[in-house]
Amino acid sequence: MTRIRTLALALGLALTGLAAAQTSGGTLVAAWEQEPVGLDPHITSARSSYQVLENVLDTLITLDAEQNLVPSLAHAWTVADDGLSVTFELREGVRFSNGTEFTSQHVVTVFERLLDPETGSGNAWRMAGVTSIDAPDATTVVLTLDAPNPSLLGHLASSNALAIFDPVGALDGSINTRPIGTGPFMISDYQPGTRVLLERNPHYWEDGLPYLDAVDIRIIGDETVRRSALVTGDIDWAFSIPPQAVEELDARDDVLVDRAAAGAYYYIGVNTAEGPLADERVRRAIAFAINRDNIAAAAEFGNAQVTQDPIPPSSAWNFGYAPYGYDPERARELLAEAGFADGFEMEIMPTSFIEATIRAAQVIQADLAAVGIRASIRTLEWAEWLQEQGDGNYDTFVCSWNGLIDPDDFFYAQHRTGEVFNFTGYSNPTVDELLDEARMLPEFDARRPLYEQINRTIVDEAPYIYLYNPLEIHAYAPDVMGFAARADQAVRFVTTWLDR
Amino acid sequence: MSLAYLLRRLGTLLLVLFGVSLVTFAIIPLLPGSPARVTLGVQATPEAVATLERQMGLDRPLPVQYVSWIGGIITRGDFGTSLISRQPIRGEVTRRLPATITLALVALAIGLAIAIPAGYVSALKPGSARDLGVSVMSQLGVSVPDFWMGILLILLFSETLGWLPSSGYRPLSDGFVPWGRHVLLPAATVGIISGSIMARFVRSALLEVLGQDYVRTAHAKGVPRRTVLRKHVMRNAAISIVTIVGLQMATLLSAVVVVEIIFAWPGLGQLALTATLQRDYPALQAAVLLAAVTFTVVNLLTDLSYTFLDPRISYA
Repeated sequence: MTRIRTLALALGLALTGLAAAQTSGGTLVAAWEQEPVGLDPHITSARSSYQVLENVLDTLITLDAEQNLVPSLAHAWTVADDGLSVTFELREGVRFSNGTEFTSQHVVTVFERLLDPETGSGNAWRMAGVTSIDAPDATTVVLTLDAPNPSLLGHLASSNALAIFDPVGALDGSINTRPIGTGPFMISDYQPGTRVLLERNPHYWEDGLPYLDAVDIRIIGDETVRRSALVTGDIDWAFSIPPQAVEELDARDDVLVDRAAAGAYYYIGVNTAEGPLADERVRRAIAFAINRDNIAAAAEFGNAQVTQDPIPPSSAWNFGYAPYGYDPERARELLAEAGFADGFEMEIMPTSFIEATIRAAQVIQADLAAVGIRASIRTLEWAEWLQEQGDGNYDTFVCSWNGLIDPDDFFYAQHRTGEVFNFTGYSNPTVDELLDEARMLPEFDARRPLYEQINRTIVDEAPYIYLYNPLEIHAYAPDVMGFAARADQAVRFVTTWLDR
Repeated sequence: MSLAYLLRRLGTLLLVLFGVSLVTFAIIPLLPGSPARVTLGVQATPEAVATLERQMGLDRPLPVQYVSWIGGIITRGDFGTSLISRQPIRGEVTRRLPATITLALVALAIGLAIAIPAGYVSALKPGSARDLGVSVMSQLGVSVPDFWMGILLILLFSETLGWLPSSGYRPLSDGFVPWGRHVLLPAATVGIISGSIMARFVRSALLEVLGQDYVRTAHAKGVPRRTVLRKHVMRNAAISIVTIVGLQMATLLSAVVVVEIIFAWPGLGQLALTATLQRDYPALQAAVLLAAVTFTVVNLLTDLSYTFLDPRISYA
């Protein structure tokens, strides 16, 4: 692991043409856009929380920059031939930041808490199929499943909801503000709404890391102010910068803009339960009526790749299926076929929590008007939006999915009949069967054709109308070294150092 | 001023606060969305929502929740626990209170430093060029939205001139200079706006007194102009000015919310907004209650100050 990271870092340095050796010490002042919504990894669902936890907790296995599974707390793992058990060999001599020695028993306690319905975790689905967690000895953990779950390793590697913490924090409640992990940093101060101070974990298991003494995370919600703070040097690193500022910041030599294609997509979710939108032809008409280039230009100021299916080109699972050109004429024909030649009225529900969805909705509204669909926009703040989406009180909404790796993540929970995140009410028995079959298969070559068919069917039947894959963009001072924007949208400061 | 009067006022104050507590408690949970859903995000399964709501105590009947909440405040000064961070709200409020008080006081000082001289110079020569100038400036100050004023100040003093930090808070214990550098921009944002409003009231209050018979008499007696202004005009206008300052507290409290967000200022306004967005009911209720306490207490103090400013006024 050390070798892999050192190698990656060396490569990074070589690429940027820097000869300087990493220096330890210093505090990186980082600005987050949104404040963490609690820090209990099992309970929260906020990116802002996970991107703090990313630097505090370790997962059993993790992903390298190219999205390959690599060791972390487990140095080796084996999946049984029948897919019904996974065995992890744990690294020895690892300590939590409070000095407690890390053992297999901690893994058992943490995972059992996640799966316990009393915990009320929204993340338990990531370990679907797991029926027991056993620790035959101090360095071995065995997960037993009642059915194979091909995304399990991907979730274990990519989701901090499945990271390991000292369970003692779950008993005294400190898990909500100061979870204790084995990661490179530990939380030494958490002031909700204002600041999270991460300090170097003195017990961290990778020699010589992290380089930084501390990461001082400030919450600066206003994007203009975040940009100003970066330009004036009040902060060193900014979590997300306003897309409209990218071009201007790119031109400056006192700010570095770092971007990567993200494993994320924006889409229109369509309520297929009733009314005109229950008709597949109407949904297809919308898919033809919208101009994705204009939407990406307005929503992300061009910092995005338009798409018609969910999996981004950076993934081996990308299919590039694109049956919908921008074709208002075809849209009108489909509407006429469905009996809506004169159009109809509908609602688009974006959320002020993600401003890009509002800008996207405005373009969509104009495009739909051109084919006779009279769309109104109902912008809701996040809490209300979640409620309305959960209750099915909408015609269409605009939102995004983030941090998805396995194709199962892109389709199963969103589109299988009655699944947890199937908010559109979409149901197709053939797709259900294919989804069930594909997640059982271990081999890429065997799974790919099934997912290709699933992808094609869902794009054609359009419960989701896909818009674009966004870029993950961070901006920081040019003397911040050893950091890179990642496709999985993880923010890791373990190898970051300051050249000052 | 009699003790009975004071007690009566305090009794009314408590009654008002009780009403406020009842109304906020009843209204806040009517907001669509729930803290459990916000926590769970798009991954909210009905089971997880139900479990979290039970853990948060939201499954209890509203009157039961109210009694346990108000009981905690009265008996132990305990505002309950945040539904999101699961930390005691009292600690959160105590931590944030100094930041908001600092901001409000410095803003008020800046506001008065603008309003009194501006109102004074324009009232002395109504209709003159400088009166017109003050009117235009105060009209501008009133019309500019606070969030925009904040951003303009950041662009000028932080980004362009590089004199002051763009955001953040430092306690006074860190030293006067770091504290002052951080408080200046947010306080000026609020101060310029409330100063512009107050300048108009100061002007009309002074004009009214200047037109009184006793001022003319004083001039006629040959009292020096300076003395007339100091002893007769300013002193008599003070009552109106204090009233305005008291009323300005409401504007100040609401402006502080916006300004705290822009400048990442860790005060109660920011707590109120975060609590609203995350549906953190007890935190929001605490913030509203505190705002109500501040407002009613300031009103009481304003009324009481009249007896000192004008001996003719007495409360029985």
